[in-house]
Amino acid sequence: MFQSVEEVQERFRSARYIASRRIATVVYLAAQMGRPILIEGPAGVGKTELAKSLAEVSDRPLIRLQCYEGLDEGKALYEWKYAKQLLYTQLLRERIGELIADAPSLPDAVARIAGQEDAFFSFRFLSPRPLLQAILADTPVVLLVDEIDKAEPEFEAFLLEVLSDFQVSVPELGTIRARHVPLVVLTSNNARELSDGLKRRCLHLFIDFPAPVEELEIIRLKVPEIPAELARAVVAAVQKIRGLDLRKPPSVSESIDWARSLVILNAQRLDPELVESTLTMLVKYEKDLERVRGALDKVLAS
Amino acid sequence: MMDERILEFIGDLRRAELRISPSEALDALAATAAVGLEDRETFKTALAATLVKEARDRETFDRLFDLYFLDLQALGEGVRRALGPEDPRVQDLLDRLTAEHGLELDALTELMLRGGASEMEMAIRAGGRQVGLERLMYFLQVGYFSHRIADQLDLQAVEADIAELLRLLEARGLDPGQLARIRNYLELRLEAFRRMIRQHVERELERRAWRQGERLHREALGDKPLFALTADEVAQMKAVVARLARKIKDALALRQRQEQRGRLDTRRTIRRSLAYDGVPMEVRLRRRHRDRPKLITICDVSDSVRNASRFMLQLVWSLQECFSRVRSFVFVSEIAEVTQAFSTYQVERAIEWALKAAPVDYHCRSDFGYAFSRFVRHELDSLDRRTTILILGDARNNYNDPQAWALRLMRERVKGIIWLNPEGQWGWGVGDSVLPLYAPACDLVRECRTVNQLGEVVDNLVQHWWRRGR
Repeated sequence: MFQSVEEVQERFRSARYIASRRIATVVYLAAQMGRPILIEGPAGVGKTELAKSLAEVSDRPLIRLQCYEGLDEGKALYEWKYAKQLLYTQLLRERIGELIADAPSLPDAVARIAGQEDAFFSFRFLSPRPLLQAILADTPVVLLVDEIDKAEPEFEAFLLEVLSDFQVSVPELGTIRARHVPLVVLTSNNARELSDGLKRRCLHLFIDFPAPVEELEIIRLKVPEIPAELARAVVAAVQKIRGLDLRKPPSVSESIDWARSLVILNAQRLDPELVESTLTMLVKYEKDLERVRGALDKVLAS
Repeated sequence: MMDERILEFIGDLRRAELRISPSEALDALAATAAVGLEDRETFKTALAATLVKEARDRETFDRLFDLYFLDLQALGEGVRRALGPEDPRVQDLLDRLTAEHGLELDALTELMLRGGASEMEMAIRAGGRQVGLERLMYFLQVGYFSHRIADQLDLQAVEADIAELLRLLEARGLDPGQLARIRNYLELRLEAFRRMIRQHVERELERRAWRQGERLHREALGDKPLFALTADEVAQMKAVVARLARKIKDALALRQRQEQRGRLDTRRTIRRSLAYDGVPMEVRLRRRHRDRPKLITICDVSDSVRNASRFMLQLVWSLQECFSRVRSFVFVSEIAEVTQAFSTYQVERAIEWALKAAPVDYHCRSDFGYAFSRFVRHELDSLDRRTTILILGDARNNYNDPQAWALRLMRERVKGIIWLNPEGQWGWGVGDSVLPLYAPACDLVRECRTVNQLGEVVDNLVQHWWRRGR
């Protein structure tokens, strides 16, 4: 899919995603080795975005499985359309009656109905959920398992099973094997420790807040109309705010939002008043806001 | 060739307690093969992505990586250029020369003329093995071993060979400028090689020292009596306990995945179907009930056993998902619940709070009897058969009334009582220790003087105690 690490970087850039050399290397390796990537890192550094961009540059559809507490196999893999099955049996009641009308005995009748079972347990009545969709897909896909740490450990174990051989067995239909091994990206915010098994299976990528140079590049890419001077000031300020020991330090997406709103306000440079009034774009907790306000002159000092 | 080096590196990572499975090791080899060796940072990323799965292990990885993989940058610009792909014309010239004169160059000279950095390194490592580099112990031996390796590789002969080559070139009437360039090239390479030898020996020493230090340190800490820990060691121990907790959790994760959904609940399905004229439109399943135990910890937080309480609290709260509910009490003589702190603060901060700022008087003498009787008065009704009580204390009651009846009363209500004593067994029942009076009410009494013992006990509990015929 990719010839070299440089090519990965190149193509991500054209998809408007700044991939550091480290990120590009891991993506390259994942594509080469057919391994899932497990991305960890604070919220808002572009973990999900990476998966989306990966789908874009590799020209594959993206299938997304959003994890949450209580997610189970039924919602992740497949479910029988039970109501539809019932509806059909009700509608076909007469047909079924005919079928067994001349059955000499009860066991015979049962055997005949059993012989028709396939009709009711077929793909027609199966509703595939993201995992099965990824396995059934005709073309190679990118499978994003978002926030795997939100799901329960049991689900993780199940996912591990699917990821290790890309096949699932539906008892009524037999084993379904993936036609193309999907590129899998898992993201985690570290809400809890993931199991060793899953980590072992994946290539591990830790994305932290970007270095100033990278962040500048990102902002100028995402908010092209921003004046150069302002972009630099924004990055410097955000980097300093991150150093303040906040409950939730501003993420990349928030600094982009901030930059965007400054552009809309037609700002040319950062002054305390302007920062004060737009700070909520960047910092979301009351306590954090207070803290940043208190340290405003330090944040704006160059 | 490089693979061997990587495997050795992995061995050391494992010794530093990174958990690396064989499949991950294979991944590392495949990944490094895929990205090649040209770029050191990319190579490092490939190794890190396949081997380091925990952010906290990254530091160890970085440190060891630098000890293992030659940093050409550190050798200096000139040397790096000399080891890089040299001017092809020089190479050509040398090729032609050796062919025309039928020169028999030994392998090492050959390497010196053409080899790349990693091949040179392999030669040095082989040489190191020959001279018994594993005996290296002190810094003073670095020079000695460097010489031994150079001798072993017979660098003198290589130098002679090279001098011979240059003489030949001169005899052929090569123009002096070009001759100087070739001489310069070969000398630079020879110098680079010498420096690589020395660097190899130095890093070997560092690696050895690091390995030794790390191991001693860990062993010593894990087996040191808890009361004897200094403030610094307490801080380090937190990491050890966190590691322990992870180990126990990992072991649990290996358990077979439990059935998520239970079997058909016929009764409820039929009742539900009445609404649909007897057609079972909605299926009801019996959720399999997972019986996770409730846990109550009661910790003595008087000075003598505070460290033990600290680590036990940390361990228990890090393992929280193994229990359906954890409540914690601390006492000296007055007893207070500190569970609330754990839901507000991070585990570690909550523990500090429980040990210093809970509403108990930290300065009086411990009185187990009073604490238990107070507990019985206020909490007895909240106890049930799913609850296990974990008591941590030395049972040194300062000659107060032991009030063992209170503990017996508690035992009648719960699944079991487990007593962990941070004092060695020889002291039980001696002096003001009243453990023998409490022991009959306990299902299990264990000594836990060190973190390793504590880990063993808790591990045992999680693995066996709650699974034994419920």
